Parts: sequence; structure tokens; C-alpha cells
Amino acid sequence: MKRDIAISIIFRVISYAAFLVVIAIFLTFILEGFMYFSPEFFTQFPQMGMTKGGIFPAIVGSVSVLMISLAVAIPLGVFTGVFLSEYAGKGFFSKIVDTSITALSGVPSIVYGLFGLSIFCITLGFRTSILSGSLTLAIMTLPVISSSVREALQAVPRELRESAYALGAKKSEVVFKVVLVAAKERIITAVLIGGGRVIGETAPILLTGAIFYSTMMPKGILDPVMTLPSHIYYITMAYGQSAQWMAKGASAFLMIFILIIYSTAFYIRRKISNAHK
Amino acid sequence: MPINDDKPSIVISVRNFNAYYSDKKALKEINLDFYKNKITAIIGPSGCGKSTLLRSINRMNDEIAGFRTEGEILYNGKNVNDKKLDLTLYRKNVGMVFQKPTPFPMSIYDNVSFGPRIHGIKNKSKIEDIVESSLKKAALWEEVKDELHKSALSLSGGQQQRLCIARALAVDPEVILLDEPTSALDPIATQKIEILLEELSQNYSIIIVTHNLSQAVRISDYMAYMFQGDLIEYDSTSKIIRSPKNELTEQYLTGRIG
Ligand SMILES: Nc1ncnc2c1ncn2[C@@H]1O[C@H](COP(=O)(O)OP(=O)(O)OP(=O)(O)O)[C@@H](O)[C@H]1O
Ligand SMILES: [Mg+2]
Repeated sequence: MKRDIAISIIFRVISYAAFLVVIAIFLTFILEGFMYFSPEFFTQFPQMGMTKGGIFPAIVGSVSVLMISLAVAIPLGVFTGVFLSEYAGKGFFSKIVDTSITALSGVPSIVYGLFGLSIFCITLGFRTSILSGSLTLAIMTLPVISSSVREALQAVPRELRESAYALGAKKSEVVFKVVLVAAKERIITAVLIGGGRVIGETAPILLTGAIFYSTMMPKGILDPVMTLPSHIYYITMAYGQSAQWMAKGASAFLMIFILIIYSTAFYIRRKISNAHK
Repeated sequence: MPINDDKPSIVISVRNFNAYYSDKKALKEINLDFYKNKITAIIGPSGCGKSTLLRSINRMNDEIAGFRTEGEILYNGKNVNDKKLDLTLYRKNVGMVFQKPTPFPMSIYDNVSFGPRIHGIKNKSKIEDIVESSLKKAALWEEVKDELHKSALSLSGGQQQRLCIARALAVDPEVILLDEPTSALDPIATQKIEILLEELSQNYSIIIVTHNLSQAVRISDYMAYMFQGDLIEYDSTSKIIRSPKNELTEQYLTGRIG
């Protein structure tokens, strides 16, 4: 008994500590950069060697890359997840696909960057552009989304599927009208977490879509863009002290953005676990 | 097993039926007839094959790896394991309600209209009529008529189970299979369902698996007692309780097997 209590206290302390570290990281970045927020900061281009102006083009760039990559990754990821969970069976082929997807989610993002550079930028001729960057990030999140979708579908109770079959539903109707609907909160959570990863990812976008500095907005998806993470990277690596405020402000903004995405994901998750009680 | 009362017509007959999960034999040479517009209760100790028999009727075990059957189950004279059988249409005629309530995570209305819609009914007012009449038949209409678009998950357990019955009724079945439909419910919700089933038996043939012997006695017209995969006794409920022919049945009825 006493040992159980001791162990539970230790686990509690450790998990609170981990939580505090995360909070501390977020707070540090947000507090350090928060003071630079102003209407100009969000609406202007960087000026005078990054010492004035704002991060408007980087925000637009990050948001467009996020949108396009999710527009590609969501349908493909959901489709793959549905296929793996509902149609692939348990045979050799599905094991291979399953193993490769697990392996893919462990590949470092710089490798995705190099892959994107060689396939999209060079072989397909998209050059360094929003399109190349978005496709690269889409491929990077694909395994994350498809394996979470698969798990979400597998978590749908067998009785629910059977109830649909018992009404005379065909397999496709069971999958698309019942199972997917039952798993939709979990799927949305997975997509949000994938999105959080896309918006913060730096290496792939540096290699495939980002430019260092631009005085114009991109005219189309074949133009390169500035993005938040690449902007932060360039300022920190290549600029003097007088420009660092912009990196701090951009980091704070990025952190808040990610925090909102993850909180939404966790909120939905809690709603699910409450609904199951 | 022949029954000598004035015979109602047969809706489902099970003929020399065996069922296996891989090499485990779960049903042994079952022979019995289920009668039209009667309630038949399948009783027996845990693991005796009640669910297997019930699920063999609407072929719910098709998807289970290693499950196979021998013999025949006939629905209005047609072999339900026939390869040419339209399973979708067959399951429309033979509905099922499960142990735990299984509302789909959508509105009450969408739950009930699910079946009619997948069977091709598109006319909106026709679907509305079906939803209303099904909920009425399931004795749920009065409780939910003002909140048809609320999530079905917000209903109580007993209401959810009646919703599942309404959902099954919405495709206009002839037979309804129920596998321990009240075992997850409190006594009051259970009673409501029992009353409902007795009413429904005027128009539907009901086959119910139950662990609750007094429930079987209260509501069923016929009773099948199973033990370790065998059908031990099958007769009208009144005869079985008055004078069980088999010793195993008697032991079960008196609580010595359970
Ligand atoms: N999916 C399965 N795979 C393997 N064996 C199974 C499976 N389902 C049931 N069985 C076995 O078949 C036998 C009959 O099971 P069944 O579920 O039909 O019993 P039951 O009478 O419904 O029991 P209960 O009252 O506990 O629900 C049992 O021995 C059980 O272990
Ligand atoms: Mg059972």
C-alpha cells in the first residue's frame, strides 16, 4: 500500500515536471517575443535589414504552405488510413505498408527536404516554390495522418460496425457512413497535430520552398515564399544583434499559433474521452 | 423437435446445423423452427452457443476468420447460406439488436433513417414518416419527438436501446433478433423493453437470447434451452416450465446450472 502511494507520488511529480518544462519553454518564447507585437508587426514587410517592419510575408507564406500541404495530405492520409484499417486485411502486403509507414514517420525531416528538393524542385521542375515546399511537407505528414486515421478507425467498436451490417449496409456504407463518422473527432485531432508539425517544420521548407527575403508577395504557387520558421532561422544565423527582435517576435507568434492548434486538438480529445464515459 | 400445439407458421427453420470456430464445435446438429409472430427465447448457460445460433441466422459471423457451418438455415424456405442470396436484402428482412446499445454517433433522426436511406428511399417526407412510425413502434416517440436532431449519444441507455429497436424496425423487417438486449439496462428500462417486445410480437417474429430466465418466462411463447452446443429442449414456454422433459433443463430452471 505504502509503496503504491510512493510510486504514484513519484509518477505524479515526474509528469508535473514534464508539463512544467513544456510550459516553461512556451512561456519563455512567448514572453520574450510578445513585446514586439504590434499592428505593423503583423502587416508589414521587414525593412532596413530586418531592424524595422514586420513579418507579414512570412505569415502569409506559412499559412499558404500549411493550407496547401494539408489539402494534399488530408485526403491522401485519410484514404491510406481507411485502406489500411478496412481493406488491406492482415496479410503480407498490409504488413509491408504498415512497416514502411512506421519507418517513414521516423525519417528525419531533412531527409524529406532532400527528397523534395530532388523530386519536386528538380525532377518535376517546380523549382524552389510554395508548391514544392507544400508537397514535401505533405509527404512528411502523410505517415502521421494515415497511421492516426488507421488507429482511429480501429478504435471504433465492432458492435457499431455490426449494427450497420445488420441493417443491410454494404461494406462501403459501413466504412464511409458509420465508421468514419464515428472516428471523426479522432481524425480531426490527428490532422491538427499533423498541421502543428507542418507549420513549425524548418529543414524541408528551407530546402524546397523558402526564400531568404522578398519584397513582393508570391504571385502563384510556383513562386518561393518566406515562412515563419525559415525567417527565424535566417535572422538568427545571418543577422546582427539589431535584427534579433524580429526572430523573437516571430518565434512568439509561431509558438502561440502552435499552442492554439494543439489546445484545439487536446480539447477535442478530452471531449471524446468524456463522451466515452 | 416437433411441437404438437396448433402450429403457427414457420418463419425460420434450422436444419442439422453445426457451427465451428476453427476446430471448436460451437453448435451441434441443431434442429428447430422459429414461428411467425411469436417470441422465442434462447436460454442456457454462458458459452452454450446462444449467440452463435442467433448470429448464424443473419450471418453476422461471416466476417469471423475460421467460422464455418454445416447444415441449413431456411428463411421462408430459402437457404440463407446460399451464395446467390442477396445478403443486403435478407438482412433488411431479419434485423438485429445487440447487447450494448449501439446508436450511431449522429442524430436520433439520422439513426432511424439510416436503414431506409441505404435501402434507397430518397423521398424526404416518406423518410420522415418512417422515422416517426418506427419511433412510435419502439415506444420512444413521445420522449424524443422534440429533439430528433439531438445526438443519439445524449439519450439514456434504455432510450438508446429503444432507439436501436426503432432503427431496426425502420427497414421493415419480418424477424428481429435480439442478443441479451436488456443485460446492460436497469430494471425499469428492462421492463419497458419487455413490454415493447410483447407488443411488437403481434407483427414481428422475435428471437431473443437472454440470460434472465424470468424474463424469458415473462415474455416468450417458445423457449429453446441449449447446453454446450446442443439444443436440449424446445417447446412452448408454458410446457417447459410446467414439465421440463430433460433433466438438464430442469436443473437450469431450478438454478442448479447457471
Ligand atoms: N469469435 C469466436 N472465436 C472463437 N470461439 C468463439 C467465438 N465466439 C464464441 N466462441 C466460442 O463458442 C462457444 C459459444 O459461444 P457463444 O458466444 O455462442 O455463447 P453464448 O451462449 O452466447 O454465451 P454468453 O451467454 O456468454 O453470451 C463458446 O465456447 C465460445 O468460447
Ligand atoms: Mg452470447
